[in-house]
Amino acid sequence: MKHSLDHLFGRNSRWLAIRSEVRHFGLWLALFLPVNGPAFLHAQAQGAATLFEKKCYSCHNIGSGNKKGPDLKGVTAQRSREWLHSFIQSPAAMNRRGDPAAVDLFRKFSPEVMPDQALSPEEMDSLMALIESLSNKNQIFIPAGAKLSRPIAAGDAEAGRRLFTGKTLLSRGGTACITCHDLDGAGLFGGGTLGPSLTAANIKYRDPELIAILQNPNFPTMNSIFVARPLTDEEIVQIFSLLQSTKQANPTAAVAPGPVDLKFPLLGFGLLVLSLAGMNRAWKGRLRGVREALVGENSPRAGSLDRSQP
Amino acid sequence: MDVRLQISMVFHLDKCIGCHTCSVACKNVWTDRKGAEYMWWNNVETKPGTGYPTSWEDQSKYRGGWEQKNGQPDLKMGNRSSRLLNIFHNPYLPKMDDYYEPWTYKYEDLFNAPEGADQPTARPISMVTGNLIDIKAGPNWDDDLGGSPVYAANDPNLEALTPEQRAEIFEIERLVFFYLPRICNHCLNASCVAACPSGAIYKRGEDGIVLINQDRCRGWRMCVTACPYKKTFYNWSTGKSEKCILCFPRLETGQAPACFHSCVGRIRYLGALLYDAEQLTSALAVPDSQLVEAQRQMILDPFDPTVRSEALKNGIDEGTLEAAQRSPVYKYVKQWKLALPLHPEFRTLPMLFYVPPLLPVMAKTEDGKYDSSGSELFSPIEKARLPMQYLSRLFSGGNEELVRYALKKQYAIRLFKRMETVGDLDMSVVGRALEEVNTTPEEAERVYRLTSLPTMDDRYVIPPSHREEAMQMLNDDLLQERGSAGLGFRELPVRGA
Repeated sequence: MKHSLDHLFGRNSRWLAIRSEVRHFGLWLALFLPVNGPAFLHAQAQGAATLFEKKCYSCHNIGSGNKKGPDLKGVTAQRSREWLHSFIQSPAAMNRRGDPAAVDLFRKFSPEVMPDQALSPEEMDSLMALIESLSNKNQIFIPAGAKLSRPIAAGDAEAGRRLFTGKTLLSRGGTACITCHDLDGAGLFGGGTLGPSLTAANIKYRDPELIAILQNPNFPTMNSIFVARPLTDEEIVQIFSLLQSTKQANPTAAVAPGPVDLKFPLLGFGLLVLSLAGMNRAWKGRLRGVREALVGENSPRAGSLDRSQP
Repeated sequence: MDVRLQISMVFHLDKCIGCHTCSVACKNVWTDRKGAEYMWWNNVETKPGTGYPTSWEDQSKYRGGWEQKNGQPDLKMGNRSSRLLNIFHNPYLPKMDDYYEPWTYKYEDLFNAPEGADQPTARPISMVTGNLIDIKAGPNWDDDLGGSPVYAANDPNLEALTPEQRAEIFEIERLVFFYLPRICNHCLNASCVAACPSGAIYKRGEDGIVLINQDRCRGWRMCVTACPYKKTFYNWSTGKSEKCILCFPRLETGQAPACFHSCVGRIRYLGALLYDAEQLTSALAVPDSQLVEAQRQMILDPFDPTVRSEALKNGIDEGTLEAAQRSPVYKYVKQWKLALPLHPEFRTLPMLFYVPPLLPVMAKTEDGKYDSSGSELFSPIEKARLPMQYLSRLFSGGNEELVRYALKKQYAIRLFKRMETVGDLDMSVVGRALEEVNTTPEEAERVYRLTSLPTMDDRYVIPPSHREEAMQMLNDDLLQERGSAGLGFRELPVRGA
């Protein structure tokens, strides 16, 4: 949208000025809030909810339990505003500084590391306001946009499998899921091991959570690929359908990663041994040293003196 | 007739004292570099012995040289396709241990060692790894029959002898050995050239020196296997192979190669030979024992007017032809038939020839007394401590007649000179000896002069260098060279590199 507007107006200073106005709208609103009443409050909460859905919801819930990161319900009551500000800006830096609360969190959610968030103080404040209001009202956060564009139809799961394995390319140029993720029945050697196996993805995440992730995969690795090449609504439906059908096929799949799969390393080792044996056979008559055999030394180092470095 | 020129060599083994000065001269000039420490482009071996690298003559192990397959010569290391299949792993390479691990000593310990109860010693360290090593072998480890029960007893050439003869060779007071200095033979049918997958090895058109182009060498090491004399070496530092270059920069400026120049015993002769390249195929189509004769057949008479005109047609310079006429190699090899190639049965047509050693035959012991006279004229040769089979295995592909002739001729000339100087022999006896080897007193005198009293100019007849004509032979379009880098250089010389 922003891009198309840029195109429409050109990058002239007037438009930039307007855009900057828009960006400061939140701050602006905050100033007027006490005077202007619930209508503006609602608008602000809407913006914060969208922001939360995009930036935070992949890892955090409000009121419905821990995901990759902790449930944020009541966090504003637990921590000071300054602490939250500096933590959101750079969690790793807080951990390095040895902040006790940050160190505890890192230990608890290891190996996950929350990436630094490029959020303005106003945006952070609006998010905190959202968390605070939901916590106070004892409500849970329900992502408004995390809905499928259409109901799942027959054949979606199969189409999703083709997208997953890369047989159909993702239309906006994203990388096929199998590159980094495994899934039950994803071919002979499974998928990649950079990301977690997705067999239990729909068990680990509830439907709206999973849809939100497909819409905005805000994990550091996925983000760098998919922020510029998001999935289309149609692709989201198909891949979601695949993950859902996988859940139905494996209702008891383990959410935590299982023991390391040794199939591939063992196969590699076997092939290595085989090829070495083959080479040994092919070059059976190779020259193995003439003088040693002549002199009758089993080892060129037999009976050596002190062999320490000079 | 396709007349070509070859700078060729003769080593007179009767004169070699085994001092290794040649090896040291070569090492100092060419192989005193990282990665080349183990290389001895020139080395001197004791025979019987296994030499350097160990048992290099045993081609059942090293697979060097050519063999006749269905009447066609092919490399012993394998045909074209098997060489291609083995290109990433050449299975017939000598190990470093077969050469030796080069070493130096920790001399600084002699000065820096802390005070202690014992004298400090300079301990050997490897020049490859820099670690302390136990020296297991060296390039002349079996020098003067050192370790003979292991090394000399395993000389591959002793296979030609009966068990009795073998036992006799190593009997106390009958022990016998001679020295064999070796450099690259600059062969006419060089197997290293044939084996090179990169086309980096070539035989220089103007003088037949075999060289490895360091720009094109890719370090496949096929030449290391293919050379039956093991005279191409792999430099582990540069990743390229190297070999004797016959000191061509010295030759081009009219100087003898370093090993020749430094030779104390003056055993080395160098000169030009003209040969007929058209005869190459037919010369190789004969059995082992006839190879020497076939090779001699290829060598052309530089005085023959037809040869001269054909040579001029092939771009060989008049001055070069004049040098070929004075060549001591031509005399020893073709005229006098005294010099023989080393292991002609490897079929590379080596162009370094050896005068087989007479010395060990001179005296035989009878009742503990040395006796150099005999009833039979050539009986000392027939009763030589070194059996003829052994020498013929080395120098003539098993043809004993050729070795016997060379030895008899040397012996006859010795008798002739003894008659002249000591006067205790009768001309009738000496004349018979000379007659038996088809030689005249005049020729005997000439052989004697070139063998015993040669000047440097007699020993080294180096044809004048004509690099500009060599360029013409390589590249007819001289206009392409004009105004670019001058004649004679295709690349700018690099200074200080």
